[in-house]
This record gives sequence, structure tokens and C-alpha cells, in this order.
Amino acid sequence: MGNIKVSSENLDFYYSDFKALEDITMDFEANKVTALIGPSGCGKSTFLRCINRMNDLIAGTRVDGRMTLDGENIYAQGLDVVSLRRRIGMVFQKPNPFPKTVFENVAYGLRVNGLKDKALLEERVEESLKGAALWDEVKDRLNTSALGLSGGQQQRLCIARALAVEPEVLLMDEPASALDPIATQKIEDLIHELKKNFTIIIVTHSMQQAARVSDKTAFFYMGRLIEVDSTKQMFTKPKNKQTEDYITGRFG
Amino acid sequence: MEQRAHFTRKLEELKLMVLRMAALAESAVHKSVKAFLEGDADLAEEIIKGDSAINDLEDEIDAFNLELLALDQPMAVDLRTIVGSMRITVNLERLGDEAVNLSHRAMFLSSRPPLPFNSKMEKLSETSKAMLADSLRAFVDGDVRLAEQVCRTDDEADRLTIQLLKEFINDMVTESRIVERGVHAIIAARHLERIADLATNIAESVAFIVEGDSLKHNCRG
Ligand SMILES: Nc1ncnc2c1ncn2[C@@H]1O[C@H](COP(=O)(O)OP(=O)(O)O)[C@@H](O)[C@H]1O
Ligand SMILES: [Mg+2]
Repeated sequence: MGNIKVSSENLDFYYSDFKALEDITMDFEANKVTALIGPSGCGKSTFLRCINRMNDLIAGTRVDGRMTLDGENIYAQGLDVVSLRRRIGMVFQKPNPFPKTVFENVAYGLRVNGLKDKALLEERVEESLKGAALWDEVKDRLNTSALGLSGGQQQRLCIARALAVEPEVLLMDEPASALDPIATQKIEDLIHELKKNFTIIIVTHSMQQAARVSDKTAFFYMGRLIEVDSTKQMFTKPKNKQTEDYITGRFG
Repeated sequence: MEQRAHFTRKLEELKLMVLRMAALAESAVHKSVKAFLEGDADLAEEIIKGDSAINDLEDEIDAFNLELLALDQPMAVDLRTIVGSMRITVNLERLGDEAVNLSHRAMFLSSRPPLPFNSKMEKLSETSKAMLADSLRAFVDGDVRLAEQVCRTDDEADRLTIQLLKEFINDMVTESRIVERGVHAIIAARHLERIADLATNIAESVAFIVEGDSLKHNCRG
């Protein structure tokens, strides 16, 4: 077992009275890609949002148990949620660039964090766009609207935006589900690159995608973690019958 | 509608094709043993001619499996079924070849006086045939215990073969007129032992399909 970056310990999650997650215990290794799979509504996105406390924004939600980042409970009293979310970035299903220029989209988070030096800003924007494998495609149009980019480019722009603030963990919720196969391929290639520097947790409804990009796969069903193992093991000989039925498309 | 019904049907179809090939291979093995023991040249010739049907089926199954892999992207037990059945067909094809090899010995010996070795060959041929039958039944039923039993019996086949060779050599030493026939009989015994090996390979593939583990390490010495 490598270095544990994020760890969930007996985590329960409630939307008011509805218990959406029950007793989730699992570790996420640093510089690895972990895929969360399972039928729609099983709690993948909810669990992902528990990792950077995005669920806090939803009224009436509650968490029991622990979620740790480098061993520290992120639900501890007095924890600075803004800096937590800087350390744990997130990319959503639908690319959601701001209606601003390409440059400003990436610079936004840096400006919010108080970076004003123009040269430094430019340097970090370029680095981030390169990190998201988008630089070559947009370097000549940094000052045009991000909304003019293709869907795939917009998604990589959102990844660049997340990378700009130098997070440690990257959460991705079905990042390619709105993209065509070529754009999807680019995102998947990018994920392989990104894991050298980040810990990646990705929700995907595509089993093939989970198989292609992840090192570990966790199968969720009805708010519970049914099985988690190396992706190799999960897709060749899962131990649990429910996992096997889901992975072979027999239900879900 | 049942999920993935179309794919499930294709897997059934695959299994039927493998069974069709298995029936041909097993029948060729049985006939070649008979041709050998009874010195039946016509039967031997029939087996040699019939081998291409087994080869054709292997090609057909390969193509079918490639298509399943490419178009359906199977996972877990489905993936193992496809990979396992490819391994099985490779071994079935070789069983067909061994039946042909045995038939060539049968044709040669049919023009010679009967051998004094036949009763000794019978035991080995019965063992090999039973192992083959069990390995195929294990495939049909997904029966790992039976597959393990086939693997264990392989040691018995090896032991019988060695014993047979010793006896052949002794016979040839005492009676030099039978040396030529004796050499052919030794080669035939080797083919019978090989049939037992191939049945063992099939049994191992069955365990791989059902449990994802190879038996290689725990039942072959
Ligand atoms: N904001 C919310 N309020 C109440 N229930 C929700 C909310 N979001 C999700 N749920 C419920 O929680 C369960 C898990 O949802 P979700 O985490 O989105 O699943 P998945 O991402 O696996 O499709 C579902 O039953 C869903 O209806
Ligand atoms: Mg979701």
C-alpha cells in the first residue's frame, strides 16, 4: 500500500432524513487514480462531494464518521473550508467555464487567492493550460471568450482552472460524459498524465472508462461500498457477486 | 427485458460451438484409439481426412471470440469465458492432431502382424479417454472439482506411460523381430500420454473460467 492521501472512515451521509451513504471506509492512495462506479443514484457523486465538503452547500445535510486529508479530519471544527477546497479541486460533468476570456477563466482562482503580479499570473496560466493539455490549442486565443471553445476544450479549460491553484487532489464527476469519443480520449490521456502530480478520484458511469484510467476501482450500490480493489482485479475477477453482475452488465 | 440478453445469447452460442468442436475432437480420439488397437486402416484414413473440420471450427470460434471481444468489451467472468474458451479450442485442435498422429501409426501397423502390446495400451488409452471426457464434462457443468480431479489423474497417465515404455523395451530386447512395430507402439503411447496432457489443459481452462485461478500450481507436480 502506498501513501494514503485521503481516507474515509465509517462515513455516513444524510440528506435530511435520507441516509445516502452508509459506513463508507476506504483509502485513496497518493498519485493514483481511483474510480467510483455503480448504478445511478448509488451515491457516487454524494461521496465525491463529501471529500471536499461541497455537500455543506446543501441545506439539511449531515455527515457522521471521518474523512481525512493527509490524516487530518476535514470535518473538524474550525477547519478552513476555502483552503480545503483549494487543496482538493473539482471538475464537474458539464464543462462550466465562466463567460470570460480563456485567460481569465484560468487566472480567476489565482486572483481570488490574491495573486496580482501580471508576469507571475501569465506564467501560472500557461503552466496550467499546459498541464491540462490545452495550451497548444488556445495559446493564440487567450483573450477570446471561453464559450467559443469546443466542449472538450471547455472541459480541459475547467481542468486547467482547477490546476491553477495547485491542488493536491482532483475530484472529477463524470468529466467526459458530455464529450464525444475523441474529446473523451484526450481527457483520459490527460488523467494518466495528471496522476504523476495529483491524487485523482473520478466518478464515471462508463465501466470501460474506469478500466482504462484507474488504478483502483470502488463499486457502490445503494449507498454502500460493496467492493474496492485494484482495477485489474475488479474487472477480471471481482470477489463479490453483486460487483460481478454489475461489471458484466447483468444489472444496474 | 433481461439486461444484456443479446450478449448472453452470444455467450451461449459460443459455448455450443466449443461443444461441437469438442464432440468432433473427442470422437476423433476415440476412433483413432480403436483404429490403432484394431489395426483398422480405413478408420484411420477417415480420421485423417476429418481433421480439417476440427481446424475449421477452431477458426470459426476464434473469429467469433474476436468479435465478442471487440464489440461487447466483456468483463470479469464473461471475459474469462471468452479467453478460457480460446484456450480450450487450442487444445481441442491439438487433440485432433494427436488423433491424426495416432491414426498414422495405426495405418502403418495395420499392414503388420498384430502386436503383443495391445492389452497394455488399453489401460493408458482408457485413462486418457476418461480424462478427456471428464474435462469436457467439467466445462459443460462449470465443475471445478471435476477439473481438479482430471489434473490429478494426469500423474497416473504419466506413470502408466513410463511403465508401458519399460515393458515395450523389455519385450523388444527378448524378441528383436518386433522392434520395428515396437518403436511405432512407443510413439503411439507418447500420443496417448499427450492426449491426457491436453485434457489436463482443458481442465485448467475450466478452473480459470469459473474461478479465475489456474490449477497449474496446486495439482501438477
Ligand atoms: N440534493 C439532494 N437532496 C436530496 N437527495 C439527494 C440530493 N442529491 C442526491 N440525492 C439522492 O442521494 C442518492 C445518491 O445520489 P447521487 O450521489 O447523485 O448518486 P450517483 O452520483 O451515484 O448517481 C440518490 O438517491 C439521490 O436521489
Ligand atoms: Mg452522480
